Amino acid sequence: MITAAQQNDWFLHHLSQSAGDLPGRGLVWLNTHRKRARQSLPQLPALNREQEAWRYTSIEGLLQQRFIPASTDIGAFKTLDINPWLLSGLDAYRLVFVNGRCLPLPADFTDLPDDAVLSSLRNALSTHPEQLCNWFEQNGSRAENLFTTLNSALINDGMLLHIGKDVVLEKPIEILYLNLGRNHSLLVQPRNLVVLESGAGATLIERYVGGDPSSGFHNHLTEIQLSGGASLEHYRLQDENEGTHHLCTIFLSQYERSHYRGTHVSFGGRWARTDCHALLKQPGARCEVNGLYTVGDAQLNDFHLRVRHAAPGCTSREWFKGILHGKGRAVFDGHIIVDRDAQQSDAQLSNDNLMLTRSAEVDTKPQLEIYADDVKCSHGTTVGEIDPAQLFYLRSRGIDREKALTMLSLGFAAGISSEIRLAALREEVDRRLMQKVNG
Amino acid sequence: MSTTENRVTELVQKEYEHGFVTELETDTLPPGLSEETIHQISARKSEPGWLLEARLKAYRHWLNMTDPEWAKLKHPQIDYQAISYYSAPKKGGGGPESLDEVDPELIAAYNRLGIPLEEQKALAGVAVDAVFDSVSIATTFREPLAKAGVIFCSFSEAVRHHPELVRKYLGSVVPYTDNYFACLNAAVFSDGTFVYIPRGVRCPMELSSYFRINEANTGQFERTLIVAEEGSHVSYLEGCTAPKRDNNQLHAAVVELVAMTDATIKYSTVQNWYPGDADGRGGIYNFVTKRGDCRGERSHISWTQVETGSAITWKYPSCILRGDDSVGEFHSVAVTRAGQQADTGTKMIHMGRNTKSTIVSKGISAGRGQNTYRGLVRMTPKAENARNHTRCDSLLIGNRCGAHTFPYIEVKNPSAKVEHEATTSRIGEDQLFYCRQRGLSEENAVSLIVNGFCKEVFRELPMEFAMEAQKLLDLTLEGAVG
Repeated sequence: MITAAQQNDWFLHHLSQSAGDLPGRGLVWLNTHRKRARQSLPQLPALNREQEAWRYTSIEGLLQQRFIPASTDIGAFKTLDINPWLLSGLDAYRLVFVNGRCLPLPADFTDLPDDAVLSSLRNALSTHPEQLCNWFEQNGSRAENLFTTLNSALINDGMLLHIGKDVVLEKPIEILYLNLGRNHSLLVQPRNLVVLESGAGATLIERYVGGDPSSGFHNHLTEIQLSGGASLEHYRLQDENEGTHHLCTIFLSQYERSHYRGTHVSFGGRWARTDCHALLKQPGARCEVNGLYTVGDAQLNDFHLRVRHAAPGCTSREWFKGILHGKGRAVFDGHIIVDRDAQQSDAQLSNDNLMLTRSAEVDTKPQLEIYADDVKCSHGTTVGEIDPAQLFYLRSRGIDREKALTMLSLGFAAGISSEIRLAALREEVDRRLMQKVNG
Repeated sequence: MSTTENRVTELVQKEYEHGFVTELETDTLPPGLSEETIHQISARKSEPGWLLEARLKAYRHWLNMTDPEWAKLKHPQIDYQAISYYSAPKKGGGGPESLDEVDPELIAAYNRLGIPLEEQKALAGVAVDAVFDSVSIATTFREPLAKAGVIFCSFSEAVRHHPELVRKYLGSVVPYTDNYFACLNAAVFSDGTFVYIPRGVRCPMELSSYFRINEANTGQFERTLIVAEEGSHVSYLEGCTAPKRDNNQLHAAVVELVAMTDATIKYSTVQNWYPGDADGRGGIYNFVTKRGDCRGERSHISWTQVETGSAITWKYPSCILRGDDSVGEFHSVAVTRAGQQADTGTKMIHMGRNTKSTIVSKGISAGRGQNTYRGLVRMTPKAENARNHTRCDSLLIGNRCGAHTFPYIEVKNPSAKVEHEATTSRIGEDQLFYCRQRGLSEENAVSLIVNGFCKEVFRELPMEFAMEAQKLLDLTLEGAVG
């Protein structure tokens, strides 16, 4: 079992490896935050089975590995042709990250409204230091567990998206994370900040794609704040190499009548986990989180979702679907908390799993924690295999078994994938899903 | 809905009906726990050496364990040295041969609780093994049971007369290493009930044991063991009430059920121990380990519980579905009000092929009550075609209570089908309106709705208990919801 000492060793190793190469050394507030994160290490709990949130997801394999901090020198990638990784037919404002560093590509942001900022974090440290400083002062270091602390202690690059009052972006924003580690096990830790002022609206796509085979560790941390009436449509497509360790921690806070609509798709990674913490702070906020995951041989996919209704009249909808094949393992933990005075909360949580093979395993835990009485909360979960009657129906119409299984699996997933409003992305998800199910 | 608010206030202030202390001379060990205590308990019960050894082994293991903290419960640290681990009504010589020999004050106590032993003997046809604090004082209906070959006696008696059976099954379902409270129980258990149904026998009557805690500061550590041999059938009823007092009382019982091939065990509980006062002071701490083992093909174990009492309920009646085609059931109504806390649920471990389990849990929270359902459904790789359906509903009355659902689902076999659904809501305005519009008073309407909410569970109870449970629910929520 993981001990605190083991964890500390691992942390300190990576700290010493990376610490020499951080931007913004002249910024006092940033150094303070990094330092605070470092100093919280002794208080961190050991992430072993005794931690409810880590009960089914072992980090033992991860801690046995020592990762190499990604080089900040991206000169070698300046001439990189990114076209093979782009989605065809998607017109978007785009940032491309290679091994966690933002490429200085000739970005075409000319039609980006004046009141909107889309930039790499490194850039923003010099262009918008005050804004970042304020943010970190208000929100703290986000040093809650070993991994968020490591990210916070080594804030390096990432993305800043800030959209001003009542500005609604017509075009989506695409963030592409590429891994070109050349067989090294790299430690990559992007830090993202998304702030939508009141009445603002945007569509954000984050895609994590392979490149070189890797067994690296990608430790993302994203903070999202939606002010009153703001609306964010957020897509994440995690399609990394099947050797990668991928962790993405999201802190979402929502104000009055804001609307978050997230679709989180997870196909890749050997060990992949998403920790999503949503806080509905003011009345009328609406939070929708949908998810789709597949796991095959030697893959573990974990979705941890914590939605807290802290104000009255908020709505949350969580719907996750998983397809398991080979020796894949899936973990789902959805947790809805309704605070004492959050009357008229409406929450629905659902998790469905389709098991295609004998050796797959799913551990699911949909939880409700409710302290208010005038609420409408429900959760449901199912685990099962393909209905033989449906299979028979298709086969009796001359469709071979393989094809019928694929059709039924895609039909199962369609509840989530068909909700993707961007055609290019939806097609990509369907295409990859088909490959995954057939694979 | 100010009327409802008023009712909640009434409810919270409602005094515990069964709160009285019966004055009896007792033989009680001084508070404290050590190997010496265990020697004492064992000596007083004239136990054989192997049982003493088992107790000591458990005690030594317990010393190295820590209090579990994962449950959603808040209570002050329990001082295990402040508890007396043995209390028995004093008696001259041997045990009472018939009800006539039982201390009349005891009988009166039962009567005040609405459990007239004599009447039940005559009218209800229920055999009662009444447990007053730690020692069984009366057992009725011994004869017809003996004729059928059924053994139904106190645990101490079983140790004396059927040591081979006790030794074979004791701890085989809940080993002493299982958890903190089960381990404590294994070390200090006082008395309890033993039931053995021989092969092919259908127990001629419902068996019942009324538990009662009486002596102040006396923890009660019941041990129940029920063995149903191949093809047999038994229904066992357990009910509890306790007098009012201020000190928290620890209760750590262990119930083990063993069902062989084609055997059926139905275990029903109505629990109405002292829940503490409006501030949550006093009240019973109820940490119970209940588990059934379906050892053969087509074994069937069914748990039904109605939990209205105790300051703290920590209880997860579980089924290990080992045999192919075996069936596990769990039906539960848990009510928390005032400062009560309940963390209860079940575990269904599917190991055999075609095993089936059903979980129905109804939680009602009022006042500042905290009600948690915590359950595990595990489908092991061999659980071919296993099925589980779980339904957890919570009803909230008042805005200072909480209802929580923590289901754990682990599936390692694709042919297994698992369904879980849960809802949380308060009594719908539309439902109330519908009833009132048809001339029902608000009180009756709420009572109707709450009873409907629990019906699915109540109908699983044996007839006599269903009546009592409904009465209890009405009584518990009286003033709050009708």
